[in-house]
Amino acid sequence: MSLLQKIKNTVRSRSIHVCYVNTGSCNGCDIEILACLGPRYDLEQYGIYVHNNPREADVLLVTGPICQQWDDKLKSIWDKMPEPKVAVAIGNCPISGCLYDREGSYVNPPASKYIPIAAEIPGCPPCPREIIGAILSLAPEIFRDYEEKNK
Amino acid sequence: MTYSILLYLKEVLRPESIRLFFCAKTAPLILPKHFRNFPETTGRECTNCLACMMICPSDTAIEVLKIKGEWTPVIHKGHCVRCGFCVEACPENVLDCGRVLDLQRRDRISFYSEFFITIDPTLCKRCGNCSVACPVNKEIDPTLAGSGTPVSDEVIMKIIDGEMRVIHPEKCTGCSTCELTCANNAIRVARVVQAMQVPEELT
Amino acid sequence: MKKTVDVALPVGPMHPCWKEPVRLKCEMKGEHVLACEVELGYAKKGIERIMRGRPWQEVMFLAERICGICTVIHNYVFIETVEEISEITVPERAEYLRVIVNELDRIQSHLLANFSYCYTIEHETLGMYLLSIRETALDQLELITGARITCAYMIPGGVRFDLSGEDAITLQEGLSAIETETMRYRGMFETGPMIGLRSKGVGILTTEDAKIVGAVGPTGRASNVPFDVRSGHPVYQRLGFEPVVYDTCDNWGRIMARFDEVLQSCALIRTCLLKMKPGSIRGGGAIKGGEAVHSGEAPRGELRYYLKTDEHGRVIDISIRTPSIPNIEASGHYMIPGVSSAADVTSSFISCDPCVSCCER
Repeated sequence: MSLLQKIKNTVRSRSIHVCYVNTGSCNGCDIEILACLGPRYDLEQYGIYVHNNPREADVLLVTGPICQQWDDKLKSIWDKMPEPKVAVAIGNCPISGCLYDREGSYVNPPASKYIPIAAEIPGCPPCPREIIGAILSLAPEIFRDYEEKNK
Repeated sequence: MTYSILLYLKEVLRPESIRLFFCAKTAPLILPKHFRNFPETTGRECTNCLACMMICPSDTAIEVLKIKGEWTPVIHKGHCVRCGFCVEACPENVLDCGRVLDLQRRDRISFYSEFFITIDPTLCKRCGNCSVACPVNKEIDPTLAGSGTPVSDEVIMKIIDGEMRVIHPEKCTGCSTCELTCANNAIRVARVVQAMQVPEELT
Repeated sequence: MKKTVDVALPVGPMHPCWKEPVRLKCEMKGEHVLACEVELGYAKKGIERIMRGRPWQEVMFLAERICGICTVIHNYVFIETVEEISEITVPERAEYLRVIVNELDRIQSHLLANFSYCYTIEHETLGMYLLSIRETALDQLELITGARITCAYMIPGGVRFDLSGEDAITLQEGLSAIETETMRYRGMFETGPMIGLRSKGVGILTTEDAKIVGAVGPTGRASNVPFDVRSGHPVYQRLGFEPVVYDTCDNWGRIMARFDEVLQSCALIRTCLLKMKPGSIRGGGAIKGGEAVHSGEAPRGELRYYLKTDEHGRVIDISIRTPSIPNIEASGHYMIPGVSSAADVTSSFISCDPCVSCCER
C-alpha cells in the first residue's frame, strides 16, 4: 500500500461531507438525524458535516420508501456526486418499505434497486445513539483503499 | 450596533456558559434499560401457539421457525417496528424487550384475542380449497389433504349439502391461510383484540 | 396572454432548510415576490388505501406513521374515534396519562418548529439551544412510553403502561428545566434586534384572509382567530384551558405563540400530576361497527378523522383531514406574495410549520 493511499485513507475517514435525500418518508428518521446534529449528540465533532449539496458530498443518506416521483430522480442525484461516493440507508423504509409496502400503495422499495447501498441502519426510527454508533464504526472502513477496490 | 455587542457579551459571560465551554461532554452512546429495542428470546420454551404472529402489525416481521429441533420466534430487523405487542401477547413470556415484561407483571395487563370467520355467499364458489388448506383441519383429519373429502365432523369447516359451512369456529387460530387461498376473497378471518387489566381487588 | 416577469425562481424539492420535498415556484420582479405556486406530490404513499380491511391493532401503527413529528396526536384521535363508535369509557387515570403524553409531544414539536425557523433566519445558536432543551422533553417521553418517537401508547380502553412514583419525580424535574430555559429563550427572541428586523412585519396574513382560507393552529391564532379544539374536550375543560392568541399577524407572532404554548403545556402537565389518583389504566370493551367523526388539536392545528367500521372492527372507509392542508395554502398563496426579499420566502414558508408528509398521506 503506497504512502499516497495511506494519506488518502486517513484524510477520508476524518472529514466526511454528507448529503441527505428524503424520498417521501414520514420524517421520523429525518428528525432523528437532526437530533444527531444537536448539542447533545454532536456529530460535527467527528468531522462529519451535513449540508444538502450532492455536488460536494461523499456520503448520501437515503430515508423514506421510494415514492413514485423518485424512481428516476434518485439515480440522477447519485450520478451528480463525484467519486469516491457511498450510499447509506437509514431506517426500515429504504430496506423493506416498513409498513407501507402493501398492495394498493404507491411505493417501490427497496432502494438498492436504484442505487448501490453500502450499509443499512434498521429501526423505525433508529435512535440517534444507534445512528452515531453505526456511522463511527463505518467511517474508517467505508473509503479504505477505494481506488484499489474499484480499479 | 453596540446594543447587539452588549447582548452578546451578556449571554457569553454567564457562569453556566463559561462552565459548559470549558468542560463540555457528549452523552455516552449506551441505550438505557427502558428503551424498547428489538425483542430478544429469554430462553423459555416456545409452544408454537403463533399468538405473536397473529398480533404483529407488520406482515413480515416475525416468524416461528424450528431451529435445531426447537421452535423459536425469529425477528427480521429490517421489518420490525419495535412496538412490543408480541412481547405482551406471548402466554409463555418467550420474548422480552425493554421493560415491557416487568411492566406487564406490575400492572397485570394482557391482550385477549378472538377470531371470527365470515363467508360471503355471493362470492363463494363452493370449491372447498379453504377447508383443504386449513392447517388445523390437516391436524384433525389427515385424509382431507390427500383426497379432499373429510371423514370426521370435528373439522372447522367443510362442504355440507353443496354449501361451505363453519361447524367449529372456536378451534380457529387466526392464521388466515384460508383467506390467502381463496381465489374470490369470499372467506375472511377477523382478528379482534381487546386490551385487559386485572382489577386490583381480585389479586 | 403571456405574463412577463423578471425571474421565475424554483425553490426545492431538495433544500437545506426543509426536511421534506416540496417545490415552490416563485415569480419575482427584482426582489419582490409577485406570486407563488406550491407543487406537492413527492411524498404520496396512499396510506388511507392501505388501511382498508385492517383491524385497529394494525391501523393504529399506520396512523402513527403519517407524520413523524406529531405521532401521538394521530394515535390519540384515532383511538378516540374508535371509542366513540364502540361506546367504551376510559378510566380517569388513563385520561390524565393520555393528556400528559400528548402535551409532552406538543412541547417537542413546538421547539422543533422554532428551531427550523431560527435556522432559516440564520440564528443557528438560538436554534441549537432549542434543540438541546428538546432532548429533555424526549427523555421524559422515553421514560414513560419506552420510545422517543412513534410511542404507540394509547389503545382502546386506556393506555398501555402506568406511571410509577419515581418516574413522576423525574418528570417534575425535567419540566422545571424546560420551563426555566424556555423563558430565557423566549426573552432572547422577544427583544433581539436582528430577529425583530427579519421577523416583524414579514409574511402578513390578515384576519379576514385567515378566516377565508381556514388557517388553524398557531398560524391562525397569531392572526387573532381564537379557535382551539381543546376548549371543547372534557378533560381539558376540567384542567381549565384557555387558547393563546396574538394579533400581530406576522412571523414574529407565530413564533411567540408557540413559545407561549410550550409554557402552557408545562403548566397543564403539572396540573394533571396533581389531580391524578391511583386506579386502573385499562377499561376493556368490545369493538363494534358504525361510523363517527372526531377531531383533536395537533401541534399544527385541528386534525379530523372520519371512520366507518364493520361489525368486527375492521375499517371499511377512512378519511383524514390534517391541519397542514389549509396552512400550506395560506403560506403559499397569502403570506409569500408580497414579501420584499427573496430570502424571506423560506422563512415565511417555515413559520407556518408545514408538515408535507401529513399533507399528502
